[in-house]
Amino acid sequence: MILDSKVPAGPLQEKWDNYKNSVALVNPANKRKYTVLVVGTGLAGGSAAASLAELGYNVKSFCIQDSARRAHSIAAQGGINAAKNYPNDGDTVWRLFYDTIKGGDYRAREANVYRLAQISNSIIDQCVAQGVPFAREYGGLLDNRSFGGAQVSRTFYSRGQTGQQLLLGAYQAMARQIDAGKIEMMPRREMLDLVVVDGRARGIITRNLVTGELERHVGDAVLLSTGGYGNVYYLSTNAKNSNVTAAWRCHKRGAHFANPCFTQIHPTCIPVSGDYQSKLTLMSESLRNDGRVWVPKETGDPRPPSEIPEDERDYYLERRYPSFGNLVPRDVASRAAKAVTDQGRGVGETGLAVYLDFRDAINRLGKNVIEERYGNLFEMYERITGEDPYQVPMSIFPAVHYTMGGLWVDYELMSNILGLFVLGEANFSDHGANRLGASALMQGLADGYFVIPYTLGGYLAGMDAGDTDTNTAEFAQAEDESRARIDKLLSVQGDKTVTEFHRELGRLVWDHVGMSRTKEGLQGVLSEIQRLREEFWENVRIPGTPDTFNKNLEFAGRVADFMELAELMALDAIDRDESCGAHFREEYQSPEGEALRNDDDYAYVASWEYTGEVSKPKLHKEELEFENVKLTTRSYK
Amino acid sequence: MADRMTIHLKIWRQEGPDAPGRFERYTVEDANSHMSFLELLDVLNEQLIREGTDPVEFDHDCREGICGSCGVVIDGIAHGPQRRTSACQLHMRHYADGDTIVVEPWRAKAFPIVRDLVVDRAAMDRIVEAGGYVSVDTGGAPDANAIPVPKVSSDEAFDYAACIGCGACIAACPNSSASLFTGAKIAHLAALPQGHPERARRVVRMVEKMEAEGFGDCSNHAECEAVCPKGISISAIATMRREYMKAAFAGQDV
Amino acid sequence: MGDYGRKVKVIFSSPIGRKVLTGITGLGLTVFVIGHMLGNLTYFSSDPNAYNSYSHTLISLGPLLYIVELGLLAFVIVHIVLGVKIYLGKKAARPVDYAEYKSAGEPSRQSSSSRTMIVTGLILMVFLVFHILSFKYGPGMAEGYVVMVDGEEIRDLKRLMEEKFQHPLYAFGYPAVMLLLAFHLRHGIWSALQSLGAMTPRLTPLIYTLGGVLAALIALGFLVLPLWIFFSGGAS
Repeated sequence: MILDSKVPAGPLQEKWDNYKNSVALVNPANKRKYTVLVVGTGLAGGSAAASLAELGYNVKSFCIQDSARRAHSIAAQGGINAAKNYPNDGDTVWRLFYDTIKGGDYRAREANVYRLAQISNSIIDQCVAQGVPFAREYGGLLDNRSFGGAQVSRTFYSRGQTGQQLLLGAYQAMARQIDAGKIEMMPRREMLDLVVVDGRARGIITRNLVTGELERHVGDAVLLSTGGYGNVYYLSTNAKNSNVTAAWRCHKRGAHFANPCFTQIHPTCIPVSGDYQSKLTLMSESLRNDGRVWVPKETGDPRPPSEIPEDERDYYLERRYPSFGNLVPRDVASRAAKAVTDQGRGVGETGLAVYLDFRDAINRLGKNVIEERYGNLFEMYERITGEDPYQVPMSIFPAVHYTMGGLWVDYELMSNILGLFVLGEANFSDHGANRLGASALMQGLADGYFVIPYTLGGYLAGMDAGDTDTNTAEFAQAEDESRARIDKLLSVQGDKTVTEFHRELGRLVWDHVGMSRTKEGLQGVLSEIQRLREEFWENVRIPGTPDTFNKNLEFAGRVADFMELAELMALDAIDRDESCGAHFREEYQSPEGEALRNDDDYAYVASWEYTGEVSKPKLHKEELEFENVKLTTRSYK
Repeated sequence: MADRMTIHLKIWRQEGPDAPGRFERYTVEDANSHMSFLELLDVLNEQLIREGTDPVEFDHDCREGICGSCGVVIDGIAHGPQRRTSACQLHMRHYADGDTIVVEPWRAKAFPIVRDLVVDRAAMDRIVEAGGYVSVDTGGAPDANAIPVPKVSSDEAFDYAACIGCGACIAACPNSSASLFTGAKIAHLAALPQGHPERARRVVRMVEKMEAEGFGDCSNHAECEAVCPKGISISAIATMRREYMKAAFAGQDV
Repeated sequence: MGDYGRKVKVIFSSPIGRKVLTGITGLGLTVFVIGHMLGNLTYFSSDPNAYNSYSHTLISLGPLLYIVELGLLAFVIVHIVLGVKIYLGKKAARPVDYAEYKSAGEPSRQSSSSRTMIVTGLILMVFLVFHILSFKYGPGMAEGYVVMVDGEEIRDLKRLMEEKFQHPLYAFGYPAVMLLLAFHLRHGIWSALQSLGAMTPRLTPLIYTLGGVLAALIALGFLVLPLWIFFSGGAS
């Protein structure tokens, strides 16, 4: 199969305009004849549902939470990038594009990333008009701050709750359309399958999470905005309900899964404190502006941090990367933390943590200044750990945060299944092998507010509205298969709980497909994942019945899918014989331990096709062509 | 160091909206002081599944205090005893070995019980649908800096917009009033010039909806502010009242 | 006009209007109660006829007094009807109550007084009926309660009061009800201002405290009289 990215012709700067100039349109009076199914209500899904409804399409929106407002975009803290250049510090659309594609270690499509940078400004305009309370200067204009990987201040923010405010903006735009009768909102629904009729995505099967009922929904197109798959690691900064199921079922219906091994590990999270731990909490990247990262020089030093003298501390980031110091990008900082803990120099009860110390900053600037800058984060840290970071250094450790990989999409955000569009974190498109801070919110909203309204129209213009219904054999088959799967899960009645399996899977993936990977480890883990998967289907114990509210049953279905995805991630990581971005293969590093990218052989998108057998997916390559940027080695020395 | 502790729980169990409910007592032997309250429930549920009993259902998602999914009444207080802390951020170090904790769902007519500790909070969404937005279609917005907004107004708007929609204000209100939730959205948008064109229609429609959903009236107990994980001030309610009277008398159809 | 009337009706049957009206009537009644209390205190004036003169002056207002009385009656009725309505609404809004419930503390203003507004209010209502029957419609000049002030025969309300408060039931029942009034006003004064949208976060603690102090002063102003009469034997 040839993957056609459908990137429009013309110079990079004109591609999106050229596309918009020539894309087919749907007459306003005809839009109401089309029904669009939007799965997920995060930044991408929420903004898409609202925008499409405003245009006149009938939208059916689905989410697994009890309200559209709870999608996990809500938890994003830092900010959203845009090339407004309000601070007059030299930012341009080109620079935002360049920083993003370089930050992704040159594994993203130029045209998509450029479009993202172009759209970024309109997003800020739209959100302000909706009443999103961005931070402002005393003069009443918008404030900006800096984030990693950029030399300009282009990040807009709402204190430490930017994702929340942007999501509520989209949620409220949806609420308006629900009131207007243009969106039918269906909360507490989980998508269990995609229905493909005559080669086109025409519907979905959902489970009503309250009654357990399986439901068929038909539409003229399906938009998947179901987020990332970080929970494959069990412990991550993702919400507990975040999952890959919708995307995975689409994959099993033919959609390609691209770059699954590109998973971002965020360096500053609160470390694991025990086996019962259910999730990890991120502490904003901004803390590294003033905090110094260190571990004791001695292995297994039992002393509390205050008793370790200066010359027995190893400020390893400052030592290894003198010019960037504590502000190296996320992937670099995470790997360095792993390196010192692997040497046995980690701190805390588990030895899996490093210090982030504000002592020097407090001495230099005073406690007040630090409190002003990070007060809410310090408070949150203390609430969780019971330790006062003004007195004791924070303990931090990397944690899984974001997944750059996802379903393959073309320039129009359509997967290789006609009519199946994939938006936001669920697709693979814009962040390459590593995402820069404050870019996820930008991409989600760009896809939903400003890309899909054009590209979906182009697709629908070519087809008749509503020419199928839920009584086809395809719907019946998909529903039967979903039911059979649920029944099978419940029939096992073994000895181990879903959480036990999930935790075990997470440990395997974290150890071998985590921060740093080896061919040997990856090959070894394949059989372990297969063994665990077999055991799962023979020994899982799920309480309750299928026809009630049953969270364990929901989780079981998701874990079953994670078990399959995990293998694909390992296979993808094995295929990629290079180190790039978040994908670090120990065999491919410089003598100093830096990543060695291989542009000659691996400047492609690895797009995996399901062949009917989980362990034998077929690899397709979309070669990435860089006509506008020069591929250089990232160095932070 | 994490201290091991034994915790006794008295939890409301109810199979469905119309099923009779009852308290059940459980003991978790291997709790520890580092756990969050929801992790304690996780441990209990693992125990129950192994024993062949249905686990206790409760809503939860982000577990970092921002999504608003979780929410139970813990020892008589919505989200438990820690101020400005949602149940997922409440940690067991605030309890002693051997404590008994009583756990109940949010209780209000407008919040029917789905199962155990899970309730249906769709009424809150419907209040927002009645007018909690600015009617701007995608694409037509002016430049973000076209309208300067005083920093104080923008900060005030944020304070109200921080609402996570958990429903604790309603659960804790002796009258089951949704005034803080509704008022917060009205006050957020009233503080910004972008919210002004629709302010009259917004407040009238949202207040009507609030009543139609079966929430009680506000009697100014201010319990809502005390349990709000974001500490949203009841001045939101005062703002809502001013906005309503202004709107109603100034010509907005009621 | 009809349209405007309908509108006013809709406004005041809304959750906001109900509270605004409860607040307005509550504050109005508070002002009346303060006036009543100050009037009572003329009893302690050096002029032994001050109290009776004061009451006579009020009676002499004639039609004006009726208008004020009708107004007060309307305030009382509206206040009670809305109060009961809010209470019933509250009951309906939570059909199943918590097995365990407590206040989270500051900045909550929930207190025994805020929780018992309906109880204190209804007791005050019953008291009000007895109070009016005892005094306003109690024995008057026809029954011999007459006193000569400035050459005019007027009703000797002072004597009636002194007789009533000789009785322990009145002497202690009356102050007890006044304490309940204070209890009602402790939440009521601040609550009314908050209902009228007059409160800001900075003002709230101050006004809440001042409301409490005012409530206590009102109660004090009322209850010294019966207690004084009872313990001094009514010899003034």
